[in-house]
Amino acid sequence: MNALITGITGQDGLYLAELLSNKGYNIVGVVSNLNQALKRTDLALKNNKVHLLQCDMNKMECIADLLGHFSINEVYNLAAYSSGVGMYDDPIAIGEVNGLTVVRILEAIRITDLSIKMCQASSSEIFGETTDTPQTEETKFNPRSPYGAAKLYAHNMVRIFRQRYGIFACSAILYNHESPRRRPGFVSKKIIHEVVRIKLGLSSKLRLGNLDSFRDWGFAGDYVNAMWLMLQNTDPDDYIIATGEMHSVREFCDYAFSYFDLDYRDYVSIERDLYRPAETTHLVGNARKAREVLRWSPKVEFPELIKMMIDKEIETLNQQEKLKGS
Amino acid sequence: MSKVALITGVTGQDGAYLTELLLKKGYIVHGIKRRASLFNTARIDHLYSDPHEEGVRFFLHHGDLTDTSNINRLIQQTQPDEVYNLAAQSHVAVSFEEPEYTANTDALGALRILEAIRLLGLSKKTKFYQASTSELFGLVQEVPQKETTPFYPRSPYAVAKLYAYWITVNYREAYGIYACNGILFNHESPIRGENFVTRKITRALARIKLGLQRNLYLGNLDSRRDWGHAKDYVEMQWLMLQQDQPDDFVIATGVQYSVRDFVTLAAKELGITIRWHGSGIEEKGYDDESGKCIVAVDPRYYRPSEVETLLGDPAKAKKTLGWQPKTSFSELVKEMVLEDLKIAKRDNLMRQNGYDTPEQFE
Repeated sequence: MNALITGITGQDGLYLAELLSNKGYNIVGVVSNLNQALKRTDLALKNNKVHLLQCDMNKMECIADLLGHFSINEVYNLAAYSSGVGMYDDPIAIGEVNGLTVVRILEAIRITDLSIKMCQASSSEIFGETTDTPQTEETKFNPRSPYGAAKLYAHNMVRIFRQRYGIFACSAILYNHESPRRRPGFVSKKIIHEVVRIKLGLSSKLRLGNLDSFRDWGFAGDYVNAMWLMLQNTDPDDYIIATGEMHSVREFCDYAFSYFDLDYRDYVSIERDLYRPAETTHLVGNARKAREVLRWSPKVEFPELIKMMIDKEIETLNQQEKLKGS
Repeated sequence: MSKVALITGVTGQDGAYLTELLLKKGYIVHGIKRRASLFNTARIDHLYSDPHEEGVRFFLHHGDLTDTSNINRLIQQTQPDEVYNLAAQSHVAVSFEEPEYTANTDALGALRILEAIRLLGLSKKTKFYQASTSELFGLVQEVPQKETTPFYPRSPYAVAKLYAYWITVNYREAYGIYACNGILFNHESPIRGENFVTRKITRALARIKLGLQRNLYLGNLDSRRDWGHAKDYVEMQWLMLQQDQPDDFVIATGVQYSVRDFVTLAAKELGITIRWHGSGIEEKGYDDESGKCIVAVDPRYYRPSEVETLLGDPAKAKKTLGWQPKTSFSELVKEMVLEDLKIAKRDNLMRQNGYDTPEQFE
């Protein structure tokens, strides 16, 4: 089987590349900068089953060419401006990448080979300011950011191409998912990073926005598995991928600081300027459909996720200190 | 000081009516039109005068919603008090053929304007009207549709318009821009585009009446729509920007007719009684007097994933804006038929005098 992964150097891309290469897939990974990507040391990308290349995703014909040339069977579209910090920074580029690129991929499938399957990384941000808690696949969409609006555009186009052309195209409505590979710019990573620095005496304060913002945090490795399962099912459909557990940023801090027997209240300062321009509320997903239809369930729970992230952060910082020392 | 309005899509049906309305109200109106190889200003030519004359208040600019720097420059130059975003690739069937272009224009186009307003520091000054559409409701989740009805778009056009809807809400909430969505149900007029079903019907029947054309081919005759008059609806667009608070409104008549009803009534205005026979794609409409088949179904015009029924509930607009559509369905149909009959007569006259008149089919 041949899979195309966009955004392969991102957190999800790396987990998915690992998963698929373990399953014997040949993987084509689209990256925005090949030289940078080749310098990376991630094992997932060193695997000889992964072929990295650059492709202009602004051109439908480049995507179509890629699909045909590598006889792609499954497309995983993970490339996107991500949520979190920056969700408001360059809305037009976000619309281009998170929205229009998806219709270009769908069009490329339509002209190349209708049997190519596609999984779109959709997002809980399409629910935005919802009043339904928890959200299901039936919940009314209410996006509240340029990011959410673009993801909803993509989500709807996936459905329309599925209904109109019978393409096996699915949207995975992913709730927040973290891992030791989480990049800076996300509140989870920021907390973990600062906690470890505080513990090591490198920092004394953690500046955060709204502590009572609630999120449904899962483990990225579990979530890419759900995306794969979606494409192996008999029928294409959209699924909520979530833990169903809601935790506040405050709780996240509490768990993380407690790991070192610290009290978060001694270190966290609340900064109004870190609030989002329009705050979404209480995003927690009900993944019942994925559990029942795909037999999927998250393996890593909240405390373990935080522990994984802290352990990795300590390791990274230690390595950096060693490098400085030598 | 005259207020300044900037209208995208000024050459379209709504653009023409809105320009006329705003000029009457004393506005200075800047319109954006796309460059085309054919003149595309027929609908506004009567409003336009030589910009060298004195007291001119209507100006046209070349522009395109897909061009960010062009949009920025035009907004900077004109410093509008009100922007009406009426430009769009507005044809549902075409949006299946050109989904990317449709999104670039209809979705990102709205964002480009809002971003320009924000980046040029006009967030407090410039009000923004977004032409949203009943197509957002698509596979309707409740009847009639109102502001709180969940959306279920069924075409690339509707999906792109939904993006623009949410971006408009987002910029209102996040940046305090006075931005409104008018969720307009179908609105027609004698200057409706010729490839929209209502205009196609009135144009064809007028020509059939004069013997210039034999048949009218249509898609789904059972499609039900809420049809109002564009002239009434542009007044609404203006009213939305004159309130204390920006908000989104459904604009509709609250009455629904089928495509078949529209045909029957339009024919009646021309003195033709239509008898319907058969059903589905076999259905045909016969001229009762001559017995000839004049209306038939061509499945080609069935829309991919058809939106079967749309009916709006304009209660909020009535209550908040005190708005009520002035033109009834039968008045609308009559006006359209009479105007198309005039055009058909002109064609007929030319033909009788030995001049060619082009046959224009979809």
